[in-house]
Amino acid sequence: MARTTFNTGDTTLMDVLDQLGELQEGKLSRRKFTKNLLSAGVAIAVTPMASRKAMAAAEDQATFFTWGGYDIPELFGAYQEKNGELPNFAVFGGSEEALTKMRGGYVVDVSHPCNSGMPRWVNTGLFQPVDVTRLSNWSDVMPELVDLPGNTAEGGNVWMAPFDWGQTSVTYRTDLFELEGEESWDMLWDQRYAGRLGSLASGGDAWWCGAIKAGVDFDTLDSDDAFEKIAAVMREQRPLIRVYTDDTTTLEQALAAGEMVAAMTWNSSAVTLKAEGVPVKFAKPKEGALTWVCGLMIHKDAPHLDRAYDVIDSLLSVESGKFMINDYGYGHSNRKAFDAFDEETLVGLGLSKNPIEILQAGHFQRPQSQEWETRMNELFEQIKAGF
Amino acid sequence: MADTSLQHRDGEAAAPLRRPSRVSALLHRSEALRGYLLMSPTLLIMILGIVAPFVILLAMSTWTRQGFDFDTTFTLANYERTWNEPIFGALLSRSFWVSGVATVATVLLCYPMAYYVAFHVHHRKMMWLILMTLPFWTSYLLRVFAWKVILGYEGVINSGLMTLGWIDKPLEFLLYSKTAVIITLAHAWAAFAILPLYVSLEKIDKSLIEAATDLGDGPVARFLRITLPLSMPGIIAATFLIFIPTTGDYITPALLGGPDGAMIGNFIQLQFGAVNNWPMGATLAIVLMLWIAAIAAVFLFVTRKAQEKIA
Repeated sequence: MARTTFNTGDTTLMDVLDQLGELQEGKLSRRKFTKNLLSAGVAIAVTPMASRKAMAAAEDQATFFTWGGYDIPELFGAYQEKNGELPNFAVFGGSEEALTKMRGGYVVDVSHPCNSGMPRWVNTGLFQPVDVTRLSNWSDVMPELVDLPGNTAEGGNVWMAPFDWGQTSVTYRTDLFELEGEESWDMLWDQRYAGRLGSLASGGDAWWCGAIKAGVDFDTLDSDDAFEKIAAVMREQRPLIRVYTDDTTTLEQALAAGEMVAAMTWNSSAVTLKAEGVPVKFAKPKEGALTWVCGLMIHKDAPHLDRAYDVIDSLLSVESGKFMINDYGYGHSNRKAFDAFDEETLVGLGLSKNPIEILQAGHFQRPQSQEWETRMNELFEQIKAGF
Repeated sequence: MADTSLQHRDGEAAAPLRRPSRVSALLHRSEALRGYLLMSPTLLIMILGIVAPFVILLAMSTWTRQGFDFDTTFTLANYERTWNEPIFGALLSRSFWVSGVATVATVLLCYPMAYYVAFHVHHRKMMWLILMTLPFWTSYLLRVFAWKVILGYEGVINSGLMTLGWIDKPLEFLLYSKTAVIITLAHAWAAFAILPLYVSLEKIDKSLIEAATDLGDGPVARFLRITLPLSMPGIIAATFLIFIPTTGDYITPALLGGPDGAMIGNFIQLQFGAVNNWPMGATLAIVLMLWIAAIAAVFLFVTRKAQEKIA
C-alpha cells in the first residue's frame, strides 16, 4: 500500500529548499517534484495533473497507477532494460479513490488493487484478464497467492497477478510507549497517549482494524450490528488521534520526532524507521494484525498492452522481490525472491516463505460488496469529521 | 473560392451601400449589441466554463447515487439531508468561522501596510508593492508546505522557543488545528488584500484630509471620518476576495487541519472520491455557494448602512 521512497530523516524544509535551488538551476525533474508533493500528502490533488503530464512526456511508455512508494526505479530494472525508460506513474492514496477515478474515465495500463477490492474492480468491467502465458516470472509465483476468491478468469487466466502482501499493524516507539502487558490494538486506544497516536486515513485499513479491536468477525462484517460496534470504537478513538493521513511519510516523520508514540502503519514504515535508527517496533497484536495481498490488474483499454505486461513481469521479478523484502519489509509473490534471505531475517521482518501461514495468523481481508464499501466509507468519513 | 469572392466584390460594387449600411445601422442603433459583440469572447468562455458546469452541477444535485451510477429521477433529498444532518451544518459553520477569522485578520494586518505605501512612500511605490507581494510569486502549495514546516512539531517556531528555553516541550496546538489553518490562510491570501486596499487608499484626495485637519479633526477622527469611509470599497473588495475562495479551501485544511480542522471543501472532495456520492458533492457545492452569496449580500448591506451612517 502507500509507501514512500523518501528519507524520513530529511525535513520537508530541506526538500523545499532543495527544490527551490533546483528550480533556479532549471533542472527540477517533474517526477521528483510530484514525488515530493506526494510526500506531504497531496497525492489526491496532483495525481490527474501529474499523470497527464507524464503521458505527454513519454507517450509510448505504459502508465502504472499505484500506491505512493512504488514509483521508483528499483522495481523496474527489467522494464527499463527492455524499454529504455521507466513507465509513467500515477499515484493514489487509497484504492477506492483509484477505482472512482478510473470509473470517471481515467485510463491507465496497469493498476494495483488489493484482494479485498479485486472482485469489485472486476465487476466494474474496466479490466481485462491477465494472460499468464505472457509473464516470464509466472511459474515462480506462489500459487496460494493466486488462488484468491474471485480471481479466476476464463482460460486459466487471472484477473489480478499477485505482487505484494503484508500486514497493517501498530508501529510504536519502544522508548516512548510504555507497554502494559502484551502488544495489542488497545495501544491505539490508549488514553495516556491522547493526541500522540496516528492512523491511516483510508477506511480500507482503519475500519478493518477497528473491526479487529471491536472483536467483530470478518464473516459478519456487513451486518448492522458490526457497523454499530465498529463505529463505536472508531468514535472512541477519534479524539485520541493527532492526524489521519494516507501519507506514510507524515506518520513516519511524526514517529521519528516523537510527535506520535504509536501509529497504524504497514510493514514498510517500521522497516524504514528502523533503518534510520529510530527505536520502533512493528507490533504483533495479540488480537492479530490485518493481513492483505495486493496485485496488478490491466485496464481493458490499456493503450500499451505489451508494456503493461512488461510492468507486471518487472514487478514479479526476483530483483524487485528482494528490494520489496529488504527495503520495505513486504512479502513478495515470487518464491525465489525469498531465497536470498535466511530464516532469521524473514522472521525478524514478520515474513515467511509460506505466506498463507502469516496471512492466516492475522485477520485476512476479504471481499465486500460495493454497498458495504460505500456505506463504510461514508460512515468512517463522518466519524473522522467528529460525528 | 475565387469565384465567390469575385461575385462578392461585384455585388458590392453594384450596390456599395446596401449591405454594410444595414449591419452598421443595426450596430449604431443598438448600443447593447455592440457591447455584447465586444464581450463575446469572454462571454463564450463564461458560458462554456461557468454556466454549463453550473447547470450540470445543479442537475446532478437532484439525482441519487446508485452504486457507481446515477438515478436521474428528480429529488430534493440531498438538500434535505444537508438541512437535517448536523454534520453538514457543523462543517459549513466551521468553514465560515475559519475563513471569517482569516479574512478579518488578513484585512487588519494588510491595511497598515497598504496605508503606509499609499501615504508615506513617495518614491518607487511600485517597488514597494512588488516587494510586498514577492512571497506570493511562489506557488500556493509551497506556501502551505512552508507553514507546515514553520508550525510543525519540530518546526521553526517550536525549535526556536525551545532553544530560548521558553517552553519545555513542543506546542502541539500549532499544527493540525483550526489555528494552523487560520494562520496559513491569512498569510497565503495577503496579496489579495494589500492590492485592493492600496488602490482605494491611493485614490483618496489628500486635500480632504488636509481640510479635516484644518477644521480641527485630530488624527483619529480624521482617519475615522475621511480615510476609513473612503477606503471602504477597497476593504469590501479585499474581504470578498479572501472570504469567498477560502471558505471552500481544500488543501490547507487537508494538510494542516488535522481531524478538527477539516472544512466543507474536504468533505466535498470526499464525496467525489472515497465516499463516491457525486450528487451529494454537487449539492454541498451548491449549498456552499448559496450560503456565501447570502453572507456576501448581508455584508454588503451592513457596510452600505454603516457607510451611510458615517457620511
